[in-house]
Amino acid sequence: NTLQDKKVIKLAHGLDMSHPVHKAMVFMAQDLEKRSNGTMAVEIYPNQQLGTERQALELLQIGSLDMTKVSAAVMENFSPNMKVFGLPFLFRDRAHIFNVLDGDIGKELLDGGQKYWLKGLGYYDSGSRSFYTKEKPVESPEDLKGLKIRVMESITAMNMVNSLGGSPTPISWGELYTSLQQGVVDGAENNPPSFYLSRHYEVCKFYSLDEHTSVPDVLIMGTHLWNDLNEQQQKWVQTSVDLSVAHQRELWAKAEQEALDAVKKAGVQVINPDKSKFQKKVANMYEGYKDENEIYNLINRIQKVE
Amino acid sequence: MEYIPVIILVLSFVSLLLIGVPVAWSIAISSLLTMMVSIPTLPALTTVSQRIGTGLDSFALLAIPFFVLSGQLMNKGGIAHRLIAFAKTLVGALPGGLALINVISAMLMGAIAGSAMASASAMGSILGPEMEKEGYSKEFGAAVNITSSTIGLVIPPSNVLIVYSLASGGVSIAALFLAGYIPGILTGLFLMIVASFWAKKKKYKVGKRSSIKDVVKTFIAAFPSLMLLVVVIGGIVTGIFTATEASAIAVLYTLVLAFWYKEITVKSLPQIFLDSCGTTAIVMLLIGASMSMSWIMSYENIPQDISTLLLGISDNPIVVLLIINLLLLFVGIFMDMTPAVLIFTPIFLPIITKLGMDPVQFGIVMVLNLCIGLCTPPVGSVLFVGVGIANTTIEKVVKPLLPLFVSMIIALFLVTYFPELSLWLPRLFDL
Amino acid sequence: MEIRKKIDKILGSTLAFIMAVMVINVLWQVFTRFIVGTPSSFTDELARYLMIWVGVLGAAYISGKRMHVAIDLIPRKLSEAKQAKLKIFVNILIIIFCLAALVIGGFRLVYITYVLEQYSPALQIPLALVYLVIPISGLLIIFYKISDILNKQLF
Ligand code: NA
Ligand code: NA
Repeated sequence: NTLQDKKVIKLAHGLDMSHPVHKAMVFMAQDLEKRSNGTMAVEIYPNQQLGTERQALELLQIGSLDMTKVSAAVMENFSPNMKVFGLPFLFRDRAHIFNVLDGDIGKELLDGGQKYWLKGLGYYDSGSRSFYTKEKPVESPEDLKGLKIRVMESITAMNMVNSLGGSPTPISWGELYTSLQQGVVDGAENNPPSFYLSRHYEVCKFYSLDEHTSVPDVLIMGTHLWNDLNEQQQKWVQTSVDLSVAHQRELWAKAEQEALDAVKKAGVQVINPDKSKFQKKVANMYEGYKDENEIYNLINRIQKVE
Repeated sequence: MEYIPVIILVLSFVSLLLIGVPVAWSIAISSLLTMMVSIPTLPALTTVSQRIGTGLDSFALLAIPFFVLSGQLMNKGGIAHRLIAFAKTLVGALPGGLALINVISAMLMGAIAGSAMASASAMGSILGPEMEKEGYSKEFGAAVNITSSTIGLVIPPSNVLIVYSLASGGVSIAALFLAGYIPGILTGLFLMIVASFWAKKKKYKVGKRSSIKDVVKTFIAAFPSLMLLVVVIGGIVTGIFTATEASAIAVLYTLVLAFWYKEITVKSLPQIFLDSCGTTAIVMLLIGASMSMSWIMSYENIPQDISTLLLGISDNPIVVLLIINLLLLFVGIFMDMTPAVLIFTPIFLPIITKLGMDPVQFGIVMVLNLCIGLCTPPVGSVLFVGVGIANTTIEKVVKPLLPLFVSMIIALFLVTYFPELSLWLPRLFDL
Repeated sequence: MEIRKKIDKILGSTLAFIMAVMVINVLWQVFTRFIVGTPSSFTDELARYLMIWVGVLGAAYISGKRMHVAIDLIPRKLSEAKQAKLKIFVNILIIIFCLAALVIGGFRLVYITYVLEQYSPALQIPLALVYLVIPISGLLIIFYKISDILNKQLF
């Protein structure tokens, strides 16, 4: 009887199983199963088995998948206010990020997705993205001049690289390794674990920790399922997610350190450039949002958070 | 293990095929029926649509229409003819000379473009008609083209090996790339030997030995066409364009050359474009439909369940490796390569490392194995491309395919049980 | 038959046109990156969406031309009359699938992406427009198959 009543939640994502975010989701699944006395379970499909991040979001809306994890950068095409996270140097430091995500603004943005049938449950830490290059180190924005930098398919990311003087080039993540190797692009940008796990450090020997953006990952449930759960079940899910979010921050910090150590050991020169030079170059991007009231308000509110 | 989804999938698929439903629709309909077991009807219907649509949402797939198009332009524009005339003066006196040319050029093409489908579409549309003119059967030409195109996935650069590296949590891509050379070339040699024997048995025409004068004369005539290879390969290697973009450059180059030779007119262009669309669409529909099938197989955990079932049989290393290979060969019949790599790598990697096998070697074994799956009927993207472009049918290609398969399987087992074949080269470079 | 010819013609020119745009688009991508030095931001996305259109709309085109890859082992062993009946049955199966998955499922996909205001990342075009090709193609295939059955053009 219990087996039939069991609510099995299908969760698909694009990362491999050694990734800290995957581990956090496994933690969440185990906690939920225990918390619900075995009446609820989460089945996880890693590695893009059920599609890319944007396809998974569509499957949530379609109703054939229950949960997914996507970058806020992908989420912004579904829930536009999320694009605020793509702004460079929005946060002062790690504490500032967590205060924003854990506070009212974070919660508001998670709930905002419901209008699009996507209920945000929590943010996983995705660190900060920095430039890595093939030929020469990036010590200041001047070094980016004329370099073709691979960016995500996002207007904000392209504007940022443009403002810094580089040439933003959208190339799919899967084609990036060979594109770097053959010189179609001169560099790319990502957080340390991705730089390490994608093996791009085999080709790019310079990593400049300018930490320009901090785009979190978002854990999302389709409203199809969320509205179908009773209050008790919703509470269980939210609690398990919250616990896994806290756990993931520890896992992430560890993974980030391990990744940096590993790439250094592989001969990558890790540079700590003067961030203020980069910050100055992109300051004008903020003014570009003056016409977009909602985003502009969000920016101001985020800056006021302690 | 849940048996109902597997039974529905296999039963419906086989019966649809047998009563003559086109392969693409058989794949799509059986996937939909399987989805309806555990997903409510309306979402299931929508998911099939989404899979077919987004299955084509890939920049790398563009290589197919573009190489088909440039192949058509080469045939109609007199470029292919000049190239083949030159190639014939070189190897025309060997049995199966054109088949050998096909194997070598498909391997090269696949190796550089890193896409077996691109290679099969390029070589199929350039060499296929010429081989037919020389008296080769369409089916034999298609079979040679299909099998040799997949070898390029083992020879670097290879996107599938990158996918394997990601799924394995970081096996060195540089090591994988180096490891692929010897197994890839070995398999290619096997294919050439088989093709040569087959051509001899069928008594395909063997040309006379050419004089040096003929070689030079045809070389000069083919020179502008040969430059296409220089432009495409040179452009990729020097990083001017990606392998996918190279296919568009090939269209431009062949277009200019065909106009220069005055063998096509502006008026004939729309029909050439439309013909390429037709060939492309046959393949694309099959790919889109296979995406639905791979998706529902993952969703129902079918590959994982079958693995658990079979791997419980024995813990003898030789037997386990045999089971893994047979399992992958079987899965390759129904599933496309990328999803198979993503699903099976995490399942098998812990097992094979426990047996003491190097993950680099296993990557090559797995990709070589799934290469065979790409050409096995009824579901295989390269098979679809090869058959579609040769304008023949799957069941007619099976006969000439068989001996080529056998040689690939022999190569696979050599690579599985002799680690040096893959590991010698990376070790030489300390990787 | 008149209507069918007209549809063939429109479909054919649309496909040839999309194919031409695809080639120009990718050449433009190489040109802007390598010659101009400021890589275009939309060509990659446009190429992928045109690919979806060529593939899905092309499926209708090849259905009209009966150009599918099939395995005919059993049907060929039957008498001609039985073969014809079987072919009609196969066509009806295809019609049902296209109606259910491509037309109903496809339209629901268009509807969802439309009401949920989904736009593409680079070009900011509605995703509904991209997916619209699926129900259109479904309707065209149904049209071709019904016309095949009615005109007894089964082989
Ligand atoms: Na290759
Ligand atoms: Na196959």
